[in-house]
Amino acid sequence: MDLATHQRKLLGLIRSTYQVCPNDDAYIHAVAQSQDLIEARRNIFLWRIYVLERTCPLTLRLLKGRGLLEEAVSAFIAEHNISPFRETQGPAFLDMLSSHTDQLIASVAQFELALMKVRQGDSSSYTISWDVEPHNILYSLAKDIPITDEVPKGVYHILVSSELPSLFQIVCLE
Amino acid sequence: MGMVHHAAPTNSVQEQTSKCSVGATYEGRDPALLDRILPHVDYIEVTLETIAEVRDDKLRLSDEVMSELKDIGKAAQIIVHGVSLSIGSHDGWQPTYLNLLDDFLQQIDVAWHSEHLGYTKVDAQHLGIMLAMPKTEQALDMVCERVGRIQDRYKLPFLLENIVHVVPDFPGKYSDAGFLNALTDRTGCGLIVDAYNLECDAHNHGFDISEFLAELNPRNVREVHVACGVEHNGFLLDVHSQLTRNSTVELAQHIVNQAAGNAQVVVYEFMPEAVPGLGHDAIAGELARLRAAFGH
Repeated sequence: MDLATHQRKLLGLIRSTYQVCPNDDAYIHAVAQSQDLIEARRNIFLWRIYVLERTCPLTLRLLKGRGLLEEAVSAFIAEHNISPFRETQGPAFLDMLSSHTDQLIASVAQFELALMKVRQGDSSSYTISWDVEPHNILYSLAKDIPITDEVPKGVYHILVSSELPSLFQIVCLE
Repeated sequence: MGMVHHAAPTNSVQEQTSKCSVGATYEGRDPALLDRILPHVDYIEVTLETIAEVRDDKLRLSDEVMSELKDIGKAAQIIVHGVSLSIGSHDGWQPTYLNLLDDFLQQIDVAWHSEHLGYTKVDAQHLGIMLAMPKTEQALDMVCERVGRIQDRYKLPFLLENIVHVVPDFPGKYSDAGFLNALTDRTGCGLIVDAYNLECDAHNHGFDISEFLAELNPRNVREVHVACGVEHNGFLLDVHSQLTRNSTVELAQHIVNQAAGNAQVVVYEFMPEAVPGLGHDAIAGELARLRAAFGH
């Protein structure tokens, strides 16, 4: 087996995109059936969690609270070509979640992504729509305490800009 | 997972530990941690992938972290340790890493630089983990040619590190040590021996550390790494999240002794994500412990 074939097949096994064929090398069969492969995937998952917990704590805590962390990170690993440059992983993860069907997850991810960009020197201004009152939610996520079940509905915008004293401002529209 | 655990050679009471400098990873943005580290170390190991950030849609070195590193001055020497060069990818290495290294070396003097002997991407698709090279002649030829290009480009000592085998090893022409010996003989590059990686391989695959060290040419070992991760489903995982175990320090002492003055530094590696859990006191304590163990 030449180097390119060897590496392509291992990539496929790691990503669960390659099905072993009967005429594959015995080595590829051995890897495919190994507990090591399962643990390697677990290792990849753990590395992503470590980085994302540091770079996007608000969104990670919300996902944990909703029991969606494993699903979201697994989807991120499966669907994205994740760069080894750690500081790119958080923005890519938040970008993916910015269109989540759970509106609160989408809003928190959009907010955290905008804040990250502005902190890194982005001079743009961002407006994120919320359909619930953001103060208590952001406070709970920042302090890592559970979000109360009764969250007041409303129409809000969060403005994110380096021009703002604390980089963001919550505006109640109704 | 191998069922036979081969015990690491231990540093017997009679074995006098050779002196060696101590180093630590530092990824920036935590000056209070740096203040705690510096009194205990001679070297600071920097990973460019961690200090890079996205600006104007490009990966660039963080100005903030570069400023911190420049301020270290003579308090410690800087060494660069990459993770994304992917020197072993069949389709070529990662140029982004070398662009960052170019930029870094224009701003900061480093004692040497290093990478891992493995690959993190295949056909431009990132693995999300690093895989070891199959120890074949084809792989050896390719890596040697690339090491030569790096040596020509930077005119600095370049080291390669043994990495953990996260999947079963490919039965190639060379043993692990034989591959490293051939690589260093052909290129003159140095080696980092990661003691914790050896322990992971022994634990997970029954790798024989004594046999490896007996075969490895110790003349080329310039740096030794210690770290500790977590165990999951009986596997030791290569995540640098813990303080080192005594067995790892003892193995590092054995490697340093075997290298007989060629190993210049033992580096304690921990990822920035582990710092809140470990705490600054514990990290400083770990470095003081290493300083005492290596008598420098």
